[in-house]
Amino acid sequence: MSDITNILNNDDQLSEELLLKYASGNLTAEEQHAIESKMIDSPFVNDAVEGIDAFKNKKQVQQYMDELKRQLQKQTEKKKKNKAKRKLPSMDWIITAVVIVVLLCVLGYTVLRMYNSKKEETNIEKTKN
Amino acid sequence: MKPDRFDHITDTELLDKFYADGRNEWLGILLQRYTLLLLGTCMKYLKNEEEAKDGVQQIFLKVITELQKYKVVYFKSWLYMIARNHCLMQLRDKNIFVAAEDEKHLQAEEINKDGIRDKEKTLSLIESSIVELNEEQRTCVILFYLQKKSYNEIAASTGYSVMQVKSHIQNGKRNLKILVEKKLKHN
Repeated sequence: MSDITNILNNDDQLSEELLLKYASGNLTAEEQHAIESKMIDSPFVNDAVEGIDAFKNKKQVQQYMDELKRQLQKQTEKKKKNKAKRKLPSMDWIITAVVIVVLLCVLGYTVLRMYNSKKEETNIEKTKN
Repeated sequence: MKPDRFDHITDTELLDKFYADGRNEWLGILLQRYTLLLLGTCMKYLKNEEEAKDGVQQIFLKVITELQKYKVVYFKSWLYMIARNHCLMQLRDKNIFVAAEDEKHLQAEEINKDGIRDKEKTLSLIESSIVELNEEQRTCVILFYLQKKSYNEIAASTGYSVMQVKSHIQNGKRNLKILVEKKLKHN
């Protein structure tokens, strides 16, 4: 009677293999019952099983899954590479900004020096006159 | 990263890892686990194999962007909601409307997990409440949960269709839960 508590329980993960076998009717009554209790507990599993049932060719399901998983893996790896690439241009910008600031400082400094030396020259000329 | 190596890590742990270091690979491993459930769900609603496959891809993308925006606690229920909404939106674009299911029932799936489980008196309450169900529900609930029969076996022995069996078990379980919760409150 310990199973009676299972009526209000639900548990996790079902293997894909079992679900596909269920859809093709290749399970024992006991295994079928196990899948069906998950279906009762989870509308997600229930919808999925009904959907898998609607595929005409069950082998096709496995192909679709392999394809989707491959794409997903690419997507989740690619994002990381993009991030790594993105880091380089942002470093470039920092370097360019620093160079510009340094150049501006140098330029400012020389302009000031030139301005000061001119001023001195005119002052000397003024005192001569 | 080979996903099989991470079989021992739970969904919540994978999500936590993602929230900690922001690496999409964790989401990759997590979502791979749900490929078949998503493909089946999309097929159920969209009723077209190619559209179902495209739907799963779009859901993957959506999940990856959404999870970067906010924190999700009950991943499986949340994912189901995202998937279902995505399919219903697709159908709406084609002017097909599907009746919404009981949303409360959806959320209850994971939240109730440990609520009732450990209470010893629940067991006797369930036993006494089964009698209060209507005949169809009582028969199907007993055959399914106590005698562990499959839908097909129950359908064969009762004469109901498989769909009827399924709905009797579903409704029976829901009613049973309501009865037990009511009694737990009164005690």
